[in-house]
Amino acid sequence: MKRVKAFAISILILLLMVFIVIPAAQSQVKEYKLTLSECEEYKKMFDDPRPYLKDFYKKVVPTEVYRRLTYDVEAMKKLWAECVGFRAPDVVGKIAPEIKPGKYTYKDKEKYPGLKELMFPDYYKRFNPSTPPHVGNFSEITVVPTRQYFFALPVAEATRKNMGRTKLDDQGYIINESYNAGYPFPQPDGKFKAQQIVYNMFKRYSNFENYFITNRLLGYTKNLRQDYDGATEWYDLRLHGRATMEPYGWFDERARVNGEASATLIKHLAPRDNYGTAFSIMYYLDPDKFDQFLIYINVLRRIRKMSTTDTQDPVAGQDIIYEDKEGFSQKLSPKRYPYKFEVISEREYLIPAASWTGSEYINSKNYEYHNLEFERRPMYVLKLTQLDKNYVYSQRILYMDKETFILYHTENYNQKGRLYRTFDMVPYFIPEMGMFIAANWLYRDHIDQHSGFGLTYVLPAPWLAREHIDLGGLIKKGK
Amino acid sequence: MKKRKLLTLVLMAGLIIALTFSSAVAEEFMVLGRSLKLFGFATQEFSYGFRDKYDTESNLNSALMNLFVEGDYQITKDLKFYGSGMLTVDWIYQLKGNHDSWNDQLFSKSKHNLNVDDKYWQLLKEANITWTPKNFMFKAGKQIVSWGELLAFRIMDQINPLDTRRGFLDVEFETTIIPIWLFRAEYYLPIKPSWLQDLGFEFVYNPNADFIPNQDIMTGNADGGIWAPNITTSIPFPPFKAHLATTYADISTPKRWKEGNEFGFRAKASIFDTIFTLNAFYGRNNSPVTLFTPPYISPVLPHIFASDGNLLLHPFQEGKYPLLKFVGVTIARDIPGLKSSFLGGVAPLVYLEALYAFDSTFTFTNPIVPVIQRFGKSDDLRTGINVAWKVKIPFLNPISYFSFTGEFLYRRIMDHPSVETVSDAGGTPLKENNYQTFLSVSTQYFHTKLTPSFTWIHDINSNSNYFIPKLVYDLDNHWHFTLGAQLFKGAKEGQGLQLFDNKNQIFFKVAYKWG
Repeated sequence: MKRVKAFAISILILLLMVFIVIPAAQSQVKEYKLTLSECEEYKKMFDDPRPYLKDFYKKVVPTEVYRRLTYDVEAMKKLWAECVGFRAPDVVGKIAPEIKPGKYTYKDKEKYPGLKELMFPDYYKRFNPSTPPHVGNFSEITVVPTRQYFFALPVAEATRKNMGRTKLDDQGYIINESYNAGYPFPQPDGKFKAQQIVYNMFKRYSNFENYFITNRLLGYTKNLRQDYDGATEWYDLRLHGRATMEPYGWFDERARVNGEASATLIKHLAPRDNYGTAFSIMYYLDPDKFDQFLIYINVLRRIRKMSTTDTQDPVAGQDIIYEDKEGFSQKLSPKRYPYKFEVISEREYLIPAASWTGSEYINSKNYEYHNLEFERRPMYVLKLTQLDKNYVYSQRILYMDKETFILYHTENYNQKGRLYRTFDMVPYFIPEMGMFIAANWLYRDHIDQHSGFGLTYVLPAPWLAREHIDLGGLIKKGK
Repeated sequence: MKKRKLLTLVLMAGLIIALTFSSAVAEEFMVLGRSLKLFGFATQEFSYGFRDKYDTESNLNSALMNLFVEGDYQITKDLKFYGSGMLTVDWIYQLKGNHDSWNDQLFSKSKHNLNVDDKYWQLLKEANITWTPKNFMFKAGKQIVSWGELLAFRIMDQINPLDTRRGFLDVEFETTIIPIWLFRAEYYLPIKPSWLQDLGFEFVYNPNADFIPNQDIMTGNADGGIWAPNITTSIPFPPFKAHLATTYADISTPKRWKEGNEFGFRAKASIFDTIFTLNAFYGRNNSPVTLFTPPYISPVLPHIFASDGNLLLHPFQEGKYPLLKFVGVTIARDIPGLKSSFLGGVAPLVYLEALYAFDSTFTFTNPIVPVIQRFGKSDDLRTGINVAWKVKIPFLNPISYFSFTGEFLYRRIMDHPSVETVSDAGGTPLKENNYQTFLSVSTQYFHTKLTPSFTWIHDINSNSNYFIPKLVYDLDNHWHFTLGAQLFKGAKEGQGLQLFDNKNQIFFKVAYKWG
């Protein structure tokens, strides 16, 4: 017994010595985060019109990090226009030209029938006072002049440098080895144009390449009674095609060898049943290689391997399935639930393209959006028809911006052709960073008649390393 | 004094309930510039028995309340404190204190054991500090360390004791696992070859600051309450039948600090999308092995006869908490090749668990003269497999999947004596080969608000069964309602789950969760 004790103590001492002796590979940047309470001091969930975005990142992000992530705006504008071949303000204004910048309420819909032509059907329907069964209507909007959007200079440079290099196979699926960095198809064209557009969306550079998110999501029944209040923290690492944060290209050799796309760790803060649960997801570039999904289950105090083929069951309390994340996150594969891809429309629409100020908000009494700024945007409308009748959806309609490839609106139809779930996002745009932040979310379930909206606070996290999102990180984040 | 204690409890419960519902209770506070998160739940459950036998009551059987509070305080970026507390009260003892049958059947005598959980380690659940510098994690204090992959059967999960005094009631996890004082250290290699996705090492040390064993179901209504098993025996004289009543046991416990120290070591790796662990443990069994001692089994004044006229016989025993030494392995992965688009496209997951215990101590009993017993040793092998599969059955549920979870447990006593019978620590009889199965199926309706489920546990050796049909309704994040039943059916008299045949019941629980 004494020997066993001595052995145990020796192991402990050894571990401590290892910790002291091995030079700690200190991150260049000290870790910084905001709790949900701290975020809400800048922007509350409800009734908060403060234009907090104007200097939020300058205040919160360390000066050195902020400096490294900001670029010359005019240079970004110029280069991005070269990449995509146009500037958005130059290609809009042709449909319903009588709809000019200004304020409009839902009562103006009769007076301006052009609004119906300019808005896609779901937005036009939402342009009304709040009414069951869903939250997220808006009864007033402000139309602003169309603005040019662009991306961070290194992203635009990588896009231009690699233009034409990314290849698709003879079925239109990306050949991963041919992709390096940037947006692979800034000027989509040809037989597989629709798939090129979708791949642009998948390779997007929004939310920073390392990011930390604090997120709150609220859910409502068909009577607009709140039945879900959840909060999470997300830690995300982009592992390939890195352009704005070191290391550039592949995050490390392991990412390159294993073909790792990104890694995410999600820690649940609320509701109580979820508190202390954490997920770790490793996404692979190869569509035939299943992502690794581990969960630390709070009540079991254990890590459990989960199946990443479990992608169609509704997430508890919410209006999405796993593959609805950020509007559409299903892996494109010819073997597993393949789609037929079509561009069914290319035209301008009036949409809340982005908030530059963060002043939009939701009213706590009637759950309407306020202070939304709408712009005419050149859009792609894609139709993805599911070829496997066993999938939960028969088709998806995606509304994506032509200039930025941001996905704004998704309509998902069930196998009977009935509208099932929709997704909407109003991002933030940080012009000096050339960065979109996926900020305001709206999910609607049209069959269960349930809806939810979320607010996301995103920080660049250059301090993030694998230790934060691997098995060890999962255990540390769990209860 | 008793009234004062009860009043104190009521006031405490009322205060906690009031705080729970108060708008003044915030989810997150800032204390000294750092985040403190508070959560908790309050549950009230009622169970209603069907049969009126000596070991049970028809109508209300229990009125179990749990009040749970937990707090998470982030002291620094790498240092965190977590604490939780719980108050458990079974109000049945107050509600039925004056009922004749409750007193006659001696259930009221179990009040000291089952009315209020007021020991410090029951009120204080967890209290631990976690330090996570770089690739390390250190956790010290009262905590839970859970090993293994199986859900229904505990193979590797031997570190923390369990509280099963209230039997198979639908309890929260927090009410069943008992946190104990442990030190835990983990290290995850930062640099690995590309084929090795993760590799970590875990070390657990139990200094035995306070020996807390399994709180098992107890024999005799006066100790075990409504969950005391129905163990009867024939006797050669009137009334010809006897119930096994309260056990008088002298169990030696390891001395604090000096004895009962435990060590656990585990290596965890993720290789080719499979999670492996290698486990080693040296410590004590959380349940005792026992032997009959003179007078072996006897009536005890003042209650010689049970309310049904049968004799009450009390076993006299001595025992100890024997050493438990094992090595084991777990494997977890999904089987993508078995996924089928027709079934919903989800691959099944398989979890394997196996341990080999060296020189485990059992009670060997003479089958002819059962009071002749001895401690015997044998290695034993415990293995189990869990298969979890989500399947789409559209005509039953067009929206959500059905989750099927099945487990099979096999345990072999390597040197099982040819004549004597063997009992495990805790008194469970064991054959040379022992088999148990578990099956659970659940799904969700109405936007995941309504969850029906059905669970079936089958002990193959005794051919006995335990069924739990259940319906859970989640009104929102806060309010949850559960309606269910617990049904026992054993084929062999006096064996396995047949001992609980009279305890079939329905239960209803309301839970309010906050935070």
